[in-house]
Amino acid sequence: MGGAIVATEILWWIFAAGIVGAALGVVFSGSVIHSAIFLILSLAGVGAMYLFLMVEFLALVQFLIYGGAVTVLILLALMLTRMGAGEKVNGAQAPVAFMVAVALGAILLSVAVRTAWPGDTGDMPHNIAIEAVSEKLFLDFGAPFVIASVLLLVALIGAIVLARQEDGE
Amino acid sequence: MNGASPLPFGDVFFGWSWLDAIIRIVIVVLLMTVVVVYLTYGERKVVARIQQRLGPNRVGPWGLLQGFADAIKLLIKEDIRPRAADRWVFEFAPFLTFIPVLMVLAALPFARDWGVRNVTLGLLFVNAALGLNIVGIMMAGLGSGNKYALLGGVRAAAQMISYEIPLVISILCVAMVAGTLDLNAIAILQEDRPFLLLQPLAFVIFFTAMLSELHRAPFDIPVAESEIVGGYFVEYSGIRWSMFQLTEYASLWAFSIFGSVVFLGGWEFPMGSDWGWGWQLFLTFVKSLAWIIAVMWVRTTVPRLRIDQLMSFCWKVLLPMSLVQLLMNGFILVYDWPQELLTLTSGIGAAALVGFVLYRTARHPSVAHLVGSYKRAGAAAQ
Repeated sequence: MGGAIVATEILWWIFAAGIVGAALGVVFSGSVIHSAIFLILSLAGVGAMYLFLMVEFLALVQFLIYGGAVTVLILLALMLTRMGAGEKVNGAQAPVAFMVAVALGAILLSVAVRTAWPGDTGDMPHNIAIEAVSEKLFLDFGAPFVIASVLLLVALIGAIVLARQEDGE
Repeated sequence: MNGASPLPFGDVFFGWSWLDAIIRIVIVVLLMTVVVVYLTYGERKVVARIQQRLGPNRVGPWGLLQGFADAIKLLIKEDIRPRAADRWVFEFAPFLTFIPVLMVLAALPFARDWGVRNVTLGLLFVNAALGLNIVGIMMAGLGSGNKYALLGGVRAAAQMISYEIPLVISILCVAMVAGTLDLNAIAILQEDRPFLLLQPLAFVIFFTAMLSELHRAPFDIPVAESEIVGGYFVEYSGIRWSMFQLTEYASLWAFSIFGSVVFLGGWEFPMGSDWGWGWQLFLTFVKSLAWIIAVMWVRTTVPRLRIDQLMSFCWKVLLPMSLVQLLMNGFILVYDWPQELLTLTSGIGAAALVGFVLYRTARHPSVAHLVGSYKRAGAAAQ
């Protein structure tokens, strides 16, 4: 199995570089469409990282929700608002956005540095059966799950009410 | 999927597991190429027979080499890129549409232990890959710098996002009955009866939503030639256009095998385990062929829907019906009622759905909520 481990490690570095590169692309591409596409790449790379950690369910959910739903929503919004490829993305709010970004980056970095990460992923739970996940989700954490679903339902109904055209409008 | 899939199919045939994975995927892709070439030929032939024509019959005996001739012609055609196109988005879009199909092919069981990898969460994996399908199409629509392409992209995105929900829920119904997401395990569970008998309503919903995901008539609104001259790939030519074609037929093939595993018993029903891999491959072949011919048959029979009909059919008919199926399954499975009840309730549901569609077709068309030219056209028809 030596070959497999080396191959996994090489692939890991390729994906890591891909995630960082795509994330930089999101920020520096200068076009909203390109940013959205780089975002898909970056999120798909994170999904691949979950595969390396042997948490397949999370990886597939990452692909399904972030790759398939969230970024598609962004692209759809771009299409409907006719945001052209040559549109300028830096407006008058750029300095404020810069400050917020720096502050957020500082907070995230300090949290990442201060947290005592477990050094080895070997003793982390992995390859959990889907049945165990569903038991936790629907039995042990049933109430939060239902509350989250109700929240989503409210958002959905709200969106329908907002988007609905009354007759004669 | 290297290192991540829990169980390789059977044994590792070719050296290390990563080499094994690569060799298997190459075999599947080569097979896919041949299948796609003959699907284009087969579609033209089948459609021609239904329309009382002969179809391609010049290149080779019975026109059998027509697909290869077309492929060569497409490969040597000039690759044109419009000046208004967003270069990299435009050029990568065809390849990005193909990746999800490749991912689906990697998880499909063609026979017992015959496939690239057996993914334990196979059903979810296929759905996740199909969700990424839209990205390439939207990139093509956005990157072409063409209004018709943009319109086609918007239509495709709206349609595929909408129809994905009933599609996923109908697959979920089968997953509830099977109690697993593993495609091979699902095939094995259908040893004595295909899930089509237990879940006819889910099957009808799956088949309809699949036609929509594949942009097949009557749901070919994103690629409607007569309305938006071809949709999101209108600006493509040569090899990139053929990538879109390849993706379309490859996903038809992938869907036919996936559907036959989930609903028709895949390689298992009947006698798959007893009669060995030759019979299993034959079963997969026959079932996917029947599936594909049914798709072509629908294509030649049913006229294209209008965009508002398409959307209301999905959200007001298919989605509630699939939720009803999900609820019925929940009750029957939780209380351990006999399986015949599943067949009965789902059969009634399927009959109601088909009956509703037939009733709406036969009824006098209403123009009450239509606007603009649709209303005038509808009023003229009355």
